[in-house]
Amino acid sequence: MAINKENLKVGIIGLPNSGKTQLFNNLTGTYNIVANAILTTISHKKNTCKINDILCEITDTPGIHELLAQTYEEASTRDYIFDEKPDVLIMCMDSNRLKQSLYLTLDLLELGIPLIIALNAIDETCRRGILLDTRKLLHFLRVPVVECIALSGQGMEELKEAIFQAKGIKWEFKYSETIENGIDQIVCKLPTNIANQRKIASLLLLNDPYIIDFIKKYKNVTDENIQEIHMIVNQTRKEFQGNIARVVNTRRNQWVDDIANEVMIQQSLMPHEFEKTFARLCRTPLTGIPILLFIIYLVYLGVVNCANVIAEWMDSRIWVPIQDLINVLVPAGFFNDFLIGDYGILSLGLANAFITVLPILSVFFLIYNTLEDVGYIPNLCVLTRRFFEKLGLSGESVMPLVLGFGCKTMATLTTKSLQSKRERYIAIYLIAFAIPCAAQMGLNISILGRIGLEAFVIAFIVLISVEIIAGLILNIVLPYEEKGEFIQELPPIRLPTMKAVIVKTWYRMIWFLEEAVPVFIYAALALFVLDKTGILMASKLFLSPVIQGWLGLPLEMVDALILCMARHEAAAGLIIKLIGDGLLNFTQCIVAVVITTMFVPCFANIMAMIKELGTYRAIMMTVMINASSFVIAGCLNWALIYWY
Amino acid sequence: MTLKREKEEYLEKLWGMKEDELDDLSILSSDMNHEDHDRILHELVIDGFIETDGGKVRLTESGETRARQIIRAHRLAEKLIFDALGGDYEAGACEFEHMVNTEMVDSICILLGHPRECPHGRPIPQGDCCKRALKTAECAVIPITEMIPQQSSRVAYINGKSNQSRLNKIGALQIRPGTMIKLEQKSPSLVIQCEGADIALDENVAADIFVWKECTKNRRACFQDDVPGDGVCKQRSGFGFMRRKKWRG
Repeated sequence: MAINKENLKVGIIGLPNSGKTQLFNNLTGTYNIVANAILTTISHKKNTCKINDILCEITDTPGIHELLAQTYEEASTRDYIFDEKPDVLIMCMDSNRLKQSLYLTLDLLELGIPLIIALNAIDETCRRGILLDTRKLLHFLRVPVVECIALSGQGMEELKEAIFQAKGIKWEFKYSETIENGIDQIVCKLPTNIANQRKIASLLLLNDPYIIDFIKKYKNVTDENIQEIHMIVNQTRKEFQGNIARVVNTRRNQWVDDIANEVMIQQSLMPHEFEKTFARLCRTPLTGIPILLFIIYLVYLGVVNCANVIAEWMDSRIWVPIQDLINVLVPAGFFNDFLIGDYGILSLGLANAFITVLPILSVFFLIYNTLEDVGYIPNLCVLTRRFFEKLGLSGESVMPLVLGFGCKTMATLTTKSLQSKRERYIAIYLIAFAIPCAAQMGLNISILGRIGLEAFVIAFIVLISVEIIAGLILNIVLPYEEKGEFIQELPPIRLPTMKAVIVKTWYRMIWFLEEAVPVFIYAALALFVLDKTGILMASKLFLSPVIQGWLGLPLEMVDALILCMARHEAAAGLIIKLIGDGLLNFTQCIVAVVITTMFVPCFANIMAMIKELGTYRAIMMTVMINASSFVIAGCLNWALIYWY
Repeated sequence: MTLKREKEEYLEKLWGMKEDELDDLSILSSDMNHEDHDRILHELVIDGFIETDGGKVRLTESGETRARQIIRAHRLAEKLIFDALGGDYEAGACEFEHMVNTEMVDSICILLGHPRECPHGRPIPQGDCCKRALKTAECAVIPITEMIPQQSSRVAYINGKSNQSRLNKIGALQIRPGTMIKLEQKSPSLVIQCEGADIALDENVAADIFVWKECTKNRRACFQDDVPGDGVCKQRSGFGFMRRKKWRG
């Protein structure tokens, strides 16, 4: 059945970390963050592109293991398939995990939606001595199978061709009589306008935690219907006298095994892989902790010796001439202040973003993206699990916290899948509190690097201890709940490709500029207005007991704290400027970094917190974080003064 | 069908009802739907296997012992047919339970490594052999937590039927009876390799996943506590009980 339609809806489905987003990027020619990590994509992304003169709307989805959803992200992918009824599904199959992929493929085949299979990452299986017989796979599944290597873009033309040859083959399993009866009865109770009734019925029978919510979305479903469905489910289970899920899964596993055994040829001797050894070394405490420290040190060296030098060079070669030029053109006065004064839109806005922050971020992200593509960061969750356990976080919530070192907003959103409310609360709090996100981390390193390695070590030890103490306190204060379990798939360690890393850094920088530069300028403008109206001075005087007395910081730091509310990077830029002017000494510098890291989570993060916790609790949490950040920074100030 | 057999079917049903915490006589009669219902019940009461009290029915102590034997045979048979032969376990097991004696059941239990759950996910009552095996640690299966890092083995079974979401999670990662897994490391978390993916687990989950003991040279070498100087663990394919047979031969 070839497809003849004006508009095609194409969905990309696959296991977590199987390369869906890379395929999406290749097909649409856009760029979305690709990483060797799970949970990189947590929301659907849509884009249109023309293939053979037909407009295709391609959707990228979060990874799933099977249609039976276990996490919120998985449920959202399933809802996409059920709700939007895509015309074609591209099953992005990770060749390294053939059986897991086949298991998911079977689910998709059962829906009868036209399917094509993109057999991704075949270069890796080759190296591992595993060969996949594509023709046999095609023979068994009876849908187009395309070999491809998404990372280098190979096989994309064939994939585009194959979209039009996608075939909808309805694959149906018949189970024993009791189960079939149950499914039939449930189907009768479902509203007629729901598609994939049989699949939904079997998901109900298997007690999927999210499917009821999906059914409730339909208007013609009454509470009575749901009651009846529950009755049938319970009745069928009783009649079956056993574990339906297990029996159903056994049948499906048999199918998977039959195909996998035919398709996969595996050499008995697996070559030793450097990547595997490295992964193990990273995860064992004895070698893992030195490796972690070494990597942090490398990042430090990179940022201090490379980024700071570039930033200084740019400052002297680009910004100073511009400043001189403006000084010549615009006489000192209001307009000169407006452009390049302390709160000028060029100095505090543009120069801050382009000349101070951008070089630091680009060097830092170059290193960070390399680590991300290597897959190092998710593997850290093994190393750090016990540590987080002490903070009342069981395994499940370790991954969101580790992700917090990338982007706090995204990490907050991934906590949605945590079963226990208590853990979710702790995780969101800890993410918002003292974990610096990647950009903040890079800038912190740059600031502290100007003072010396000692400052860097002290500041990060303080931040880590704050996190531990906050976790311990929350752990005691919040009522006890049963702990979630830790079952976490780890991405394999891969050698990164230079091109992918550079492209990713490039896009991250572009996005930073698009998002942050307007904010930088508005913030500078706001400060300029506050300054000219005298409100700024008044508030500085008002706050001086706290800032000067308690925190021991110069009054200029009030500007930084105000900028912090707009964008943390802007505050960091200002602190760098203050260091350059010699206004911050060793102690003050550490206190400034610690307080800006903890002070007001960025706006996007607060929005994510509101989404997860509700407005009241999110705002309470933000207020608490701000209050404690002042208390902690003050204590730190006095401790450092006492120490030195 | 003989009366003995009918009675055994009744005892089996009653055990199942006890597991589901049911004791209504009406449920028994409607579920069994047998023409000689009253006669069989009468016989069972005479044998001292059951007690009836108004609309309720329950197994006596001796009845429970007998029912336990039958259930054990039935579920072990299912396990045997399912795990080893890969067949339709329900039909075969129904016949099987009436034919075997305790010794035979025990030896099947040993062969299968004292499983605790039938393929339906219901508990298999423990026999004497299981209790002995617990004491002497002579199990053919060990939990992953007792494997040595870098050792490979085949999953025998996974306990924890009460926790369906965990089973689903594990199942979706293709950790299931019959798959080969390799233990990559044990601390700080366990990491296993399964079907091309690395999976980190905590101890609670790992303790419920049992694998066939895959050592041939020195079986005790599988226990970390007393690994001899060069306790070599050799990997072999196939089910554990198949090899056990070979040693005996």
